[in-house]
Amino acid sequence: MAGHDDSGASGKKSSENEVPTFNVENMQSNMKVVYYSRTFMSIIGGVIAGILGFTGLMGFVVYVLVMAITSVCLTAKAGFSIHSYFDSWNRVLMDGFLGGLLSFVLFWTFAYDIVHIF
Amino acid sequence: MAEELVLDTAIRDWVLIPLSVVMVLIGVLRYFVSKLMRTSQLPDAKIIKEGQVIIRARNLRAAANFIPAKAFRARKLYYTNEDNGLLHVPKGQAQNPQAQMFSDPNMAMDMMKKNLSMIIPQTLTFAWVNFFFSGFVAAKIPFPLTQRFRSMLQNGIDLSTVDVSYVSSRSWYFLNLFGLRGLFSLILGEENATDDTQRMMQMSGFGFDPSKSLGAEKDGLDIVQHEWVLPKFEQRAEAVLRKRLS
Repeated sequence: MAGHDDSGASGKKSSENEVPTFNVENMQSNMKVVYYSRTFMSIIGGVIAGILGFTGLMGFVVYVLVMAITSVCLTAKAGFSIHSYFDSWNRVLMDGFLGGLLSFVLFWTFAYDIVHIF
Repeated sequence: MAEELVLDTAIRDWVLIPLSVVMVLIGVLRYFVSKLMRTSQLPDAKIIKEGQVIIRARNLRAAANFIPAKAFRARKLYYTNEDNGLLHVPKGQAQNPQAQMFSDPNMAMDMMKKNLSMIIPQTLTFAWVNFFFSGFVAAKIPFPLTQRFRSMLQNGIDLSTVDVSYVSSRSWYFLNLFGLRGLFSLILGEENATDDTQRMMQMSGFGFDPSKSLGAEKDGLDIVQHEWVLPKFEQRAEAVLRKRLS
């Protein structure tokens, strides 16, 4: 996978362990990294799905697959301790899901048309 | 009944790719133009002061548990006191920022400029697409849609038996419009003025900010339950040290 890795998510918890405190700037920067990664992967996934000729439901399955791979890689990058970088699982798993869908569909259509209905 | 239409190669070369390229270029152009046209707007001192007060109140609310109860109460009263608390806005003044925003010539001009810079390229491109690229099948979307979308997606094509997957160039324009937002956010730095809804929200929140969010912060401060966590910190420090030393 083309490693679209920014300079690492920055840890954001302050020194407390039981009292959850968040450094807002770091959290925002982490969210931006997640967003960029998802957008990039959805574009690449769209092109791949188009070139391989997936149609209909299979294409959306590819999209979900690509998002899942992105989530796994982000989790691995955060060293599997999500709670010291984000405040909930939902953020890293679900955040850019729908936003990436439109870009995915656009590039999927584009690649599919160029390659198959040429 | 999947009739595979064979579409002319020229359509690919002269419709899809130019349309996408033009939309990307127009987006980039609009970004730079908006950056150039962003007149240095002298910020109003009063609004900034109120904004800073809100930020301070918010910090107090977020970190309330780290200061002793008495200190927290003193600070809370400083903000929410009915007579001279910082967050208490007299009723008559609440409407002012809104009216002021609309009658202030500078701000109105700015808003109009930003609106225009969004709407004009979109309208022009849409008209251009309709004029040049109508009346033929432009692309095939790879997933099937129901018959109800036919009128929306196939506006120039007057055959009713063509598969709904074959769309006209107008729908290609809309697809590009929504799909290129992600691309713009990648190549142009951060999320910029290509997203209508976000910009609209930002615009509408600007003038109402002082009056309403002051009241909201005051209510938030009133609600906070103060629970001082520092007494427990000795145990926590002990636990951390134990872990370190063992």
